[in-house]
Amino acid sequence: MTKFLLKNKILSFSILAYFILFFSMPDIATTAINQSSYYIKEMFMIMPIVLILSALIETWVPKETIIKTFGSKSGIKGPFFSFLLGSLSAGPIYAAFPVCTTLYKKGAKVSNIVIILSSWAVIKVPMLINEYRFLGGEFMVIRWILTVIAILILGYIMERIIIKEPLEVKAGSKEDKNTLEVDCKLCINCSLCAKQWPKYFIMESKCAKAQVTHLKPKEIKEILPAVKKCPVNAISIN
Amino acid sequence: MDIFTLSLWIISALLFIISLMKDKSRTFDSLKKAKKMMSGMAGSIFGILLLIGLILAFIPPVYIESVLGSANVYLGTFLGAIIGAITLIPAFVAFPLAGSFVDAGASLVTAAAFITTLTMVGFVTFPLEKEQFGIKFAFWRNTLSFMLAIIVALGMGFIL
Repeated sequence: MTKFLLKNKILSFSILAYFILFFSMPDIATTAINQSSYYIKEMFMIMPIVLILSALIETWVPKETIIKTFGSKSGIKGPFFSFLLGSLSAGPIYAAFPVCTTLYKKGAKVSNIVIILSSWAVIKVPMLINEYRFLGGEFMVIRWILTVIAILILGYIMERIIIKEPLEVKAGSKEDKNTLEVDCKLCINCSLCAKQWPKYFIMESKCAKAQVTHLKPKEIKEILPAVKKCPVNAISIN
Repeated sequence: MDIFTLSLWIISALLFIISLMKDKSRTFDSLKKAKKMMSGMAGSIFGILLLIGLILAFIPPVYIESVLGSANVYLGTFLGAIIGAITLIPAFVAFPLAGSFVDAGASLVTAAAFITTLTMVGFVTFPLEKEQFGIKFAFWRNTLSFMLAIIVALGMGFIL
């Protein structure tokens, strides 16, 4: 029971808040329940299919295809398809999370993930139709253009912030003790490293593990692409 | 159910049938994965949705309308952005709401700030985003989105 409460902190907190509210302000509690029930209905309408779609992507779409379309060498194709995917979606922003984590694990670039998430949230087609109806065409078009620009900037900055770390690792790697490590907390079991550099990495039950711990300078050169390629930056040379 | 949700259901159903015909066991594996993802997220999502109801019970849309409708452009835009960041209102409620406070006298800049932060910045969904992508990603995406939303809103004021 306590384990469940700790694991679901938000849920426990909400239930507690409702509990207190029902005794102190029953009117507001009833309104809140009515409001929430609408969102819960929405969740049941959208989450099952989003999860099935993510799972289908995970099993059927090869990693190479994802990397080609959304990866670091995707060029202009990446942002284009990211905007397309986000714009044609349905449901609130949290529905985008499973799709994005799946793509991210399969090698999509951070900036493209950010573009999918943001366009899913702000500029999707069903929203634009509503915006046109209530706020007018001019408002909609100008907001759309400015938001697309803003999202591109956001993606670019996010890419810089999230990617910065392995580059620092790379710079400091030459003088130090040269131990190769995989951070188990970050590893997502994608097995990219173990497949491409079987000499250095093996997959264990929880995460990838470095087989060779002390690296020679020549080996470092070989392993640097692995450090860079790891989608969650879990590999480090210290 | 709107047409987009409906078409998503149809597409998923079709893909699922194709997947079943191609490889039964892999399809069931992916179903299992979906179930695992669902059970991982369900608790948090459920909690968040209950919390949204609570927030909206304390800050009802009518109240948002009256505050944003009477404030001046700068204060209204700032408040609109903040309220938008905290609450999570579905698009088809948000647009009529934004339309109504524009009618009540709020500036279009306020409406743009409200809608953009409403959808892009998720104060309530932050814990979930943190779980999925890590705290660094969630923190920066939300912070930068908030700032960019205000810039978009001011840009709209400049153009319109």
